[in-house]
Amino acid sequence: MDVALIGEGTYPHQFGGVSVWCDQLVRGMPDYDFELVALTATGSEPVRWSLPDNVTSVQTMPLWGPPPAYRRGRWGRSVPCPALRDLIEILLASPSEAQDRFGDVLREVFEFAQAENLTASLSSNWAVRLLSETWHDWRLDSTEAAPSLHDAVTAMQLLEHSLRPLSYPPVRADVAHAVTNGLGALPALAAKWRYGTPMVVTEHGIYMREQYLHSRDVPFRWPVRALHLRFLRRMCSLGYREAELITPGNVYNKRWEEQLGADLSRVRTVYNGVDPADFPASETEPDVPTISWAGRVDPVKDLETLLLAFALVHREMPEAKLRMFGSPPQGQEAYLERCKALASDLGLGGAATFEGRVEKIRDAYDSGQIVVLCSISEGFPYTLIEAMTCGRPCVATDVGGVTEAVADTGMIVPPRSPEALAQSCLTLLRDAGLRRKLGAAARMRALEYFTVDRAISAFDEIYTFVGTGLELPNVELEDESDDLTVSALPGRDEETELLEAAG
Amino acid sequence: MSVSNGHEPISRSRLASPAEPQRPAAPANGQHHRVPRTVAALCEQFSAVCASAVDPLEIASALEFEGLGDQTAKRRYGYPDVFALAQDMYFRVKREPAEPDVPSDPWEANGKLRPLLHGLLYALPGVCFPAAVGLLIGPGVEIALIVALLAAWSMGQGLAYLGYIRLGRTTDMEQTRRVLRIALAVGLLVVAAALAVTGRVVHAPPSALLFGLGEGIYMLGAGALMVLGAEAWLLVALAPGVLYSAAFLALGRPVYLQHVAWGTMATTPLLALALALIFTHRTGPRTGALFDRQEWLGTLPAVGFGLVAAGLLIFPVAAGPHGHGGINYAALLAGLPLSLSMGAAEVSLLWYRRRSQRLLRTTREMRGFGTRARLILVAAVLQYMAAAAVLTLIAAAIASKTGLLHPNLTFLPQLAAYGALGAAMFIALTLQALGSRIFPLVACAVALAFEISFHGLGVTAQIVACVDLLVVVGGFALVVLGRAVRHAY
Repeated sequence: MDVALIGEGTYPHQFGGVSVWCDQLVRGMPDYDFELVALTATGSEPVRWSLPDNVTSVQTMPLWGPPPAYRRGRWGRSVPCPALRDLIEILLASPSEAQDRFGDVLREVFEFAQAENLTASLSSNWAVRLLSETWHDWRLDSTEAAPSLHDAVTAMQLLEHSLRPLSYPPVRADVAHAVTNGLGALPALAAKWRYGTPMVVTEHGIYMREQYLHSRDVPFRWPVRALHLRFLRRMCSLGYREAELITPGNVYNKRWEEQLGADLSRVRTVYNGVDPADFPASETEPDVPTISWAGRVDPVKDLETLLLAFALVHREMPEAKLRMFGSPPQGQEAYLERCKALASDLGLGGAATFEGRVEKIRDAYDSGQIVVLCSISEGFPYTLIEAMTCGRPCVATDVGGVTEAVADTGMIVPPRSPEALAQSCLTLLRDAGLRRKLGAAARMRALEYFTVDRAISAFDEIYTFVGTGLELPNVELEDESDDLTVSALPGRDEETELLEAAG
Repeated sequence: MSVSNGHEPISRSRLASPAEPQRPAAPANGQHHRVPRTVAALCEQFSAVCASAVDPLEIASALEFEGLGDQTAKRRYGYPDVFALAQDMYFRVKREPAEPDVPSDPWEANGKLRPLLHGLLYALPGVCFPAAVGLLIGPGVEIALIVALLAAWSMGQGLAYLGYIRLGRTTDMEQTRRVLRIALAVGLLVVAAALAVTGRVVHAPPSALLFGLGEGIYMLGAGALMVLGAEAWLLVALAPGVLYSAAFLALGRPVYLQHVAWGTMATTPLLALALALIFTHRTGPRTGALFDRQEWLGTLPAVGFGLVAAGLLIFPVAAGPHGHGGINYAALLAGLPLSLSMGAAEVSLLWYRRRSQRLLRTTREMRGFGTRARLILVAAVLQYMAAAAVLTLIAAAIASKTGLLHPNLTFLPQLAAYGALGAAMFIALTLQALGSRIFPLVACAVALAFEISFHGLGVTAQIVACVDLLVVVGGFALVVLGRAVRHAY
């Protein structure tokens, strides 16, 4: 069976969580042939992964590089795209209206893009004039961030670049699997419209959430941001609508999908997995009470809270140590310096060490008696399930899919509260028996739910059923949400107390 | 954004891949984070996000990012989940989006100095020509020089185009360096081949051929350095050749210094080449696609334009005062300042782009934009012509002072022709910078063809050709550059 694997800014041209997952998928299913469709930036990025034999082709669709070649382009002249007016009007309407229309209009744009030169059409003066006239009276509440011509030009450019995938010939496969939503859904939609190929949409993080966060850093004026984000939001909703199956990487993501209009009966959670062979059970633990942390040194990981908590632990238990593994990504070196400064201000001296990058990540987990993850925001962190597979008890903050992952095999604390974190750490560091028990439970849980094999067999089943057009049996492949009642989570009462105490 | 111009690198990362979002810095105090008690206080804390929010989900994403989840929304504020809380916050806070910082002008950064530096760099090599006169005796020397100039200019334009395109496409400097190196090699080969053929055909003396080759090497090396932003180093390369030539000329061309002068003049192109090779040295691993058919096809108009522009500049000089050979001094007098004025052309072009961008940002409707944009274009052309006129007057003054030439009123038609040519060139450069590359090329080629076919008419042919060219490209520019979409970057 032929599967088209479609992603934006990921496999096979980038490294990162999603591309690791894609690599696992492709290698774990040698009986399937994969046609990769990669939405990239410039088109001249090198392929960073070595591709196995069952990858039959790689089609690159650069969003910011040279426009797609047109076989029958009308040289120099651009034909106005008739669906553009409708598209703009839909984007200016409120997000809850006209969602059905959006799919139809986008399909018209697709047909136009296949026959004519969409890039030339959307880059023409006619298109800019259309936009500037249509949104001329767009007012926000009572204030005006009235759109200028420059905004119209910029917004049209963004739209044109985003719609580039529609100009390429649709990929032929039995299943179109988009591993990112948003623009990643465009090639899948194209295949569906042209050949009736069924679509599957997987989400590790939530595309729309990332876009909202990212858009705050980009220097566009409000009208441009608004139009572009509305377009992306419509795209995400359309992706959910048209997909046969939506597979988030954790149950936590379901909330956003629901907000964006996904039909929950089509959602199947398929957890990320790790290869147990890479993370054998840790035989021994260090003699000295040690807390270990591993990850990217990035403000979202909230190392400051970790250091503050460790200061409290250190006061109670002077022999305790904290070992932090990992390096900052490009541009965040200042954050590492701040953390180091904080560590010395707190008088932790040599007790808290920044170890930098480590060859084998499991050595990081092995080096501590417990593993801590205190991020303020997470999806479904690999670090956590890797540590669990090694059999280390974890203390983690209640964000994203963390609670689903850990459940009752570790300790969950609220984010940004050093006292709660310190309490949980001390409890575990003082009780070897509890550590052993939780560690074993964590490993059992990880081996049962969070292995690569499990993820792969889930997708094997999905591809088979979706590709042949059968209904998936109504047995949930993974359903954690019912298990997580409030009372099952340790440390809850502490959270309430703390919240009240904080005033 | 479209790769609209071949002259300035475009700032990238307008929209980075969603796999790598930027994270705002965490609060520096690291204290126990005070979670506000009431929704009003929460709105206060998130006021920046709420005022600029596009819809409630944006606020929800910000809340979640700061660790505020469904539990907190329920227990602390009494909402069923974060989304309901965000919805309420969206309606509580008025939309007053903060104006983003206007991104720094890519054309402001250059300021006035860089184009003037460029003007200097275009002009200085000119000193070497009179000093090299002793080399340039023999049959077919003019033809060899013309061929060298044509080849060098066209290859230089092609190299610059490739370099700027790659520079604008990727922040990976390694790719740009590799592209430049290859373009350098190809360009040198072409220049050498052209000169070799010419040497065969007209039996030009090898010294002239070597001079032409040196010229080609210099221009290509200079082009590569300019793309990489290292053109200040060219002053180092120029120093030996120019200083010696100037001294040589000042001393009245003493015969005993001739060989030394030629030797030092040879070091200039070699230094330029060495610098170019150093700056294009491969530092990192080979990555990225080097050959992009569309890019390389795109160099053809650039190379063509270089050829045609050089032709328009040189032809009247070579054709002689009445079109039948000999040196056309009037043309020489007018031609040299024209090269110098390319620095002024850059200044005017930058001014034009800045002003038209500002107009784009402050106008709301298409109707208002067209007329005002055209006026700005006319103003830019006039600015340039004024600068060119001043430079010509200075050149005339120097020429008559030093006795090299004796300008008189019969030069006027020639000067007028070159004036029209200069203005037309400026408009052609502006059109190319804003994405129209074929039309200026075709128009200039037609003008050149006209001049060549009617060279018997002497300066009249040139005047007719240049004025017509000015009218045609000027008219085209007024139509095309009045459209808002051209001014995007």
